Amino acid sequence: MKAVVLAAGEGRRLQPLTSRRPKPMIPVANKPVLEYVVEAVAEAGIEEVVLVVGYKRERIQTYFENGDKWDIEITYAIQDAQLGTGHAVQQVQSLVDNEFLVLNGDRIIDADLVEEVRETESRETPATISVTRVEPAQEYGITVTDDDGLVRIDEKPTGESQSTVINAGVYRFTDTIFEAIEKCNRSPDGEVCLPSAINHLATETTVDIVKYHGRWLDVTYPWDLLFVNDTIVTAHEAPENGQVAESATVTDRVHIGEGTAIHANATVKRGTSLGPNVTVGTNAVVSNAVVMQDATIDDGAVVRDCIVDENVTIGPNATVAGGTATVAVEETVHTDVTLGGVIGANTRLGGGAVISPGTVIGDDVTVRDGTTVGGQIESNATIYRG
Amino acid sequence: MCGIIGYIGSQDALPIVQTGLQNLDYRGYDSAGVALDSGSIEVYKREGKIDNLLDVVPEASDANCGIGHTRWSTHGPPSNANSHPHTDCTGRIAVVHNGIIENYDELKAELSGHTFTSGTDTEVIPHLLEDELDGDTSPVEAINAVVDRLDGSYAFVVTIAGTDAILAAREDSPLVIGHADDGAYLASDVTAFLGHTRDVSYLEDGDVAVLTDGDVEIHRGGCPVEPTVETIDWEADAAEKGGYEHYMLKEIHEQPQALRQTISGRLDTDIGDVDLNLNIPEEYLQSLEEVQFVACGTSYYAGEYAARLFEKIADVRATVSLASEYMFDGGRDPSRTLTIAVTQSGETADTLSAIRTAAEAGARTLAVTNTLGSTVTREVDDSMYIRAGPEIGVAATKTFASQVITLAMLSVYTGKRCGSLSGGRASTLLENMRAVPGAIQQVLDREQQVKAVAEEYADSDAFFFIGRDLGYPVALEGALKLKEISYDHAEGFASGELKHGPLALVTETTPVLAVLTEGSRSEKTLNNVKEVQARGAPVIVASSMENEKFVDELFKVPSAGLFEPLVANVYWQLFAYHVADSKGRPIDKPRNLAKSVTVE
Repeated sequence: MKAVVLAAGEGRRLQPLTSRRPKPMIPVANKPVLEYVVEAVAEAGIEEVVLVVGYKRERIQTYFENGDKWDIEITYAIQDAQLGTGHAVQQVQSLVDNEFLVLNGDRIIDADLVEEVRETESRETPATISVTRVEPAQEYGITVTDDDGLVRIDEKPTGESQSTVINAGVYRFTDTIFEAIEKCNRSPDGEVCLPSAINHLATETTVDIVKYHGRWLDVTYPWDLLFVNDTIVTAHEAPENGQVAESATVTDRVHIGEGTAIHANATVKRGTSLGPNVTVGTNAVVSNAVVMQDATIDDGAVVRDCIVDENVTIGPNATVAGGTATVAVEETVHTDVTLGGVIGANTRLGGGAVISPGTVIGDDVTVRDGTTVGGQIESNATIYRG
Repeated sequence: MCGIIGYIGSQDALPIVQTGLQNLDYRGYDSAGVALDSGSIEVYKREGKIDNLLDVVPEASDANCGIGHTRWSTHGPPSNANSHPHTDCTGRIAVVHNGIIENYDELKAELSGHTFTSGTDTEVIPHLLEDELDGDTSPVEAINAVVDRLDGSYAFVVTIAGTDAILAAREDSPLVIGHADDGAYLASDVTAFLGHTRDVSYLEDGDVAVLTDGDVEIHRGGCPVEPTVETIDWEADAAEKGGYEHYMLKEIHEQPQALRQTISGRLDTDIGDVDLNLNIPEEYLQSLEEVQFVACGTSYYAGEYAARLFEKIADVRATVSLASEYMFDGGRDPSRTLTIAVTQSGETADTLSAIRTAAEAGARTLAVTNTLGSTVTREVDDSMYIRAGPEIGVAATKTFASQVITLAMLSVYTGKRCGSLSGGRASTLLENMRAVPGAIQQVLDREQQVKAVAEEYADSDAFFFIGRDLGYPVALEGALKLKEISYDHAEGFASGELKHGPLALVTETTPVLAVLTEGSRSEKTLNNVKEVQARGAPVIVASSMENEKFVDELFKVPSAGLFEPLVANVYWQLFAYHVADSKGRPIDKPRNLAKSVTVE
């Protein structure tokens, strides 16, 4: 059976982290989220995978190539317009047999889930969906079930919802799904989402349920990345080709990418991932941070609870103090989140710059020496000392 | 360039040979053929794509021995008759051959009683063998006798009806044997049979090999030797297109990762030195008078870039020669000369010939290549690998970037050991090298902008690339990329040379593409940009400066010190790709070109 992985989504709530990569390519412990999905699929014994790609697809294609590294065969289906997950599945109609799996490419799951869903093929029903318990659940599709299986999925319900059982995003379909996608309700702007097609199917026939209790991790907001990364980075792995100075301290639960250099007396603390070709300067302190490839943290800088996107330069003695803050994303205010800051790709923080907790800086921003920055900074801005 | 595959064993040979030919397809070719030996020899060959050949081969054959060939014409145009395999007058002997037999005219004259059916140099081999086998000579003796009469570079493979063997000889052209339980394989390039076995032996110059079902014999200098078996640890199809329309675009996008591999573990910014795993004596480096680069095509431009870096960084005189023009002369002291061969494949015949000339003169030699175990690495004193991963697109992209960075590391190595480079300056250079992968990623993130500009100017009459200093090799490379894949007229000029002639070519329909970055004396080039703008030419600029107002199109180059021109080059790669793509060109296999050029 083939597995179709939906990886065309942008992930707007993760801006600026998704301005240069699709959401499934956000790295957790130096592996894109999508790689955890691909690994789970491969471990479940599936040999052929179709990746539905669209937004910034070059990043996915360059990383996954033809799947040799995972011993599977990867082909690509291109979704040019972002018209929802139902539309994404339509793109693979000519590429799959009459029975196949569909998975979201942006949730970290285990192989068990894939195996359990796959095993329902013997039940000869037209579809299976998997459910899991998540709190808080209101960001997801709440599933309503009865003895016969699925009744419906309520997408992001407003108002008080009692249930915390949600759609886990791994499905088995037969080709009846394509008809359901055609017939189901579209949103006013023409989007067709997969749950809507599944609801249509559930009114006509039986949709099986698989209950899943294993690992299920999603990065919806930037600060989720710090939590998820911390959950995944386990033992301290010595970098194969990196250079860690003898006087540097690297605690356990740190992941270091290839070719990364940690200089004298620097400290890298738990919950941190340093991507490939990263430099951590002398006396710098990095703690609970996700630092992506090619970034430079200069001598004496302090970077806590922070997401540092690729190719960022954090100048000497700059400080991201870390801690909790109130952050607004797409006009929703989130209080008490742990987020020292998000620094967008290619941004340069000058020497001695100070970043207040909860600051979100866009791409290609220049923050001049000694400047204190807070709030939201648009891409391409230059911030001077006032 | 030409490809060879052969198999003998317990399986049907035809499907193995067919797949082998398809695996060699990327090398570029203009005709293909197979010979099957099932007691008697059957030959099938066709001009054009492998598909043309597949139309004429039988659906199945029970032959357990077969050889195949993809031809890239040198002697005689592409045609069915000139395709390999070639046979003798009796049809008992079939031969495929890579390389050139230089004395084929003389040999042909000596073979007066024989009927020749092609215009190739290759065809003398089966006829010579026919004469030699006319008696009770053994096939190996016959091959040795024929080899004695051949001048030139070659790898050839023979099957003779009734011998149940494949025979092969190598001189200056690669051949590799694959050992497997189901038989023995033979190819010019290991990718041809990598799906069947990873245990291989490389033939050396002068070797004759005899493959039978279950045995491989190698004769070296007249004596049988035990084959040295190596295991290949890379993936056969690591080089499929992975969702990209062309290998070239895939490889352009692979540059950040390729460069991270190139520098990984080699830079020590703390002490400002590199770890290159080289053992060149320091006294020798200190006594150096000249570093010479020999290379062809894109590798030559990498050499041009590197020579400038060597003079700036290592403070040693550096010269660059096109390998095919190279001579060791002009009063040089060979014991104070280091000759560096730059070749992606390690099999480039012109470069191999040049490095041999240098070695004969007594110079120390060093190879910078992408290919482990390639011929060049076995001929030089020291080798360095660029670690770019397999490159399939005929137009080189990621290997150029990796070559320049590898050579830059070598210049730091040399400068440090000659005492001409301070630790502080070295640290800055190493930090600049580290910045290149991220800087190139930023360029790739702007691909849509480049695509729009490429499509707007695609139908121009000609394209002129200009640059100074390190920007000059990039101008030459930018023009080469465009002409290779789009077939448009493109030229690279030193910016200052425009007014000495080429400016006469500049009109409103000839865009000028300029590099304005660190390391390219951009303030001077800016004057030349104004010259062409005054003549109405559209100006497209890759720049790390603030100069929007002078140009029609501006591509921003992130800061990377002396490597900014190298980063700018990625814009020219994308520009060339999108011009060619908008014209529907066969980008991965441009007409008349081959990936690795194994003839001189």
